[in-house]
Amino acid sequence: MSAIHLQNLVKKFGDFTALKTMDLAISDGEFMALLGPSGCGKSTTMNMIAGMEEPTDGKILFGERDMAGVPMGRRGVGFVFQNYAIFTHMTVRQNLAYGPKMRGAAKAEIDRRVGAIAEMLQLTPLLDRKADRLSVNILQRVAIGRSAIMEPAIFLLDEPLSNVDAAFRAVMRTELKQLQRQFRQTMVYVTHDQLEAMTMADRIAVMDHGVLQQVGTPLEVYNDPANVFVARFIGAPGMNLLKGRPAESDRGLVVDLGPLGITPPLPSELAAALRGARGEVLYGFRPEQASLVRNGQGLAMPVTFVERIGARTIVHLGLGEAAVKTVFDNDVGLAIGDTAIVAPTTSSVRVFDAATGLATKAG
Amino acid sequence: MSAVTVMTSKDEMKAVGAKPVSRDEGARLGFRLTLPAQILVLFISAFPLLMQLYISVTDWSPLSGTGWWNAWSMWNSFANYTDLAADARFWSALKRTAIVMIVCVPAEFLLGLALATLFADDFPGKRIFYSILLMPMMVVPAVAGYMFFMLFQSGGPVNDILSALTGSPVTIAWLSDPTLALIAVMVADIWQWTPLMFLILLAGLVGVPEDQIKAATLLGANPWQRFVTIVLPKMKTIIIIALAIRVIENFKIFDTLYIMTGGGPGVATETISVYIYKLTTQDLIWGYVAAIALAILVVLSIVAVFAMKRMARAREVPT
Repeated sequence: MSAIHLQNLVKKFGDFTALKTMDLAISDGEFMALLGPSGCGKSTTMNMIAGMEEPTDGKILFGERDMAGVPMGRRGVGFVFQNYAIFTHMTVRQNLAYGPKMRGAAKAEIDRRVGAIAEMLQLTPLLDRKADRLSVNILQRVAIGRSAIMEPAIFLLDEPLSNVDAAFRAVMRTELKQLQRQFRQTMVYVTHDQLEAMTMADRIAVMDHGVLQQVGTPLEVYNDPANVFVARFIGAPGMNLLKGRPAESDRGLVVDLGPLGITPPLPSELAAALRGARGEVLYGFRPEQASLVRNGQGLAMPVTFVERIGARTIVHLGLGEAAVKTVFDNDVGLAIGDTAIVAPTTSSVRVFDAATGLATKAG
Repeated sequence: MSAVTVMTSKDEMKAVGAKPVSRDEGARLGFRLTLPAQILVLFISAFPLLMQLYISVTDWSPLSGTGWWNAWSMWNSFANYTDLAADARFWSALKRTAIVMIVCVPAEFLLGLALATLFADDFPGKRIFYSILLMPMMVVPAVAGYMFFMLFQSGGPVNDILSALTGSPVTIAWLSDPTLALIAVMVADIWQWTPLMFLILLAGLVGVPEDQIKAATLLGANPWQRFVTIVLPKMKTIIIIALAIRVIENFKIFDTLYIMTGGGPGVATETISVYIYKLTTQDLIWGYVAAIALAILVVLSIVAVFAMKRMARAREVPT
């Protein structure tokens, strides 16, 4: 086990900067998800931790040890590839035994370790199967077992669930999380799927365009996104953001949304932080945290689309810049063309600076 | 009670007057449709084979004064085959062919594999070297033969280079010495056919999944271990194909060799093909030639069947 420290990490490919500068401390035994859209630098970061790529600048420390110049075979890193990269020409047993065998371990020792790891991963009955005809959850276990047998200090997982169909993904998520509890290893998990990150990770590092946007527990990044990008990226659908200006009203500080009218009063802490500011802001609230209210108490918007997804119904309101989505119970009585008056739960409202995109910290 | 009529597809066809097509009938129709092609294939492959078999048990020659179809009158009760078993020149030609194959095919394979490994990574000037490397394969074998004939003359470039290297004049009569002539012939074959090996093996090499190589590296395998445990097993099928192609082709080695040495000096470089060529054009004993050709066909078929079996087995384990 080992903590990982990334210090001023930079990676450039020619003129292209994949990673601008990254500082991240992953503690011992933590499950950290690197989350972001394609091209955000998450895989590059992972590859540098694994030693597949050399950083252009900055340091990677495992515990106290600087990893500069340490080749990937000697870092003590377990890596689970997107497609698992199982050696298909070998049996499950040969796959598991590969690492110790390459390091010249004795036969008896290899057998003992393979036996132990197979037992732990419930692979014992499959040991002599060829690895090319295994279902994907078995492949995942073999991939993890093959790395785990080397007792790596750190486990890196590169989108291991992206090739799996949606129904099975839930099963695999649970299994993976359980395995992590079993091994108690530091795990870094790269994904573009915020649901995976939310459900499995202890903490999430949200990245975009080679810049680390926010690090926090799943609830922290969901409840208190540091900026507009995180607000939009986390949550399905993401946070609603409406442009406006703070304005005083008889009920307290509100946001004047122009043609949409004025919002309900802001929560007092936000109001305190915003008072005096007159620049453009983005008024944000979660689709799940809005309710239908009577006239005059919320934002009146036309219903443009009703998406029924089973347990919930997503109602699209307004158009263009002034569009929001709200999530209601499945029996909500709204149809296209209706006017809905919605009000966000006061405590869930967040405000962002329109110019910088940064969240206004509640004073 | 109302009767419910269930119409099967057969009934429907009857209703519209179409005859249902049974499985047997379908097969018969297929046979009729492919018949012209079948006859053509039969004529191309089976007919010459049967003709050869027929002639091989007779003393027929083009000088017999009668058509080959009348060869039955020259039936020699398998004398050609018993002669073949006792023909020392045939056996030595076969042995020589085998020696050439045992030297050339592995040499071509190892050189091709080394070059493919080299070319799997990028290096400056790769494209130019790639084109140069493929050139020998495109040279007409007869031209290649003449080229090497010139190179190995006693006053030729090979001796010139050796002279320059050793500092004293070298005048080896390459093509007049039995052993050296065989070596020269093998050098020419390796030169000409290593590129093919290289090309096939390179295709196999770039097909090895990168992730699995990376995974092996992360598990601590050094480059040699990676090559032996991942790369080679993944290339197994393509290696078998490449070797089978070259073994079969090399067994038939003729044109380059014949132009370089004509099978000489004496019979020092006489391979099976050269021997057959001489028997056909000089001795004109076609019945005997047919017997030899059939014997070789049997040998090559065994090699081909073996290779195909291995390939089928390899395919059961898709990479």
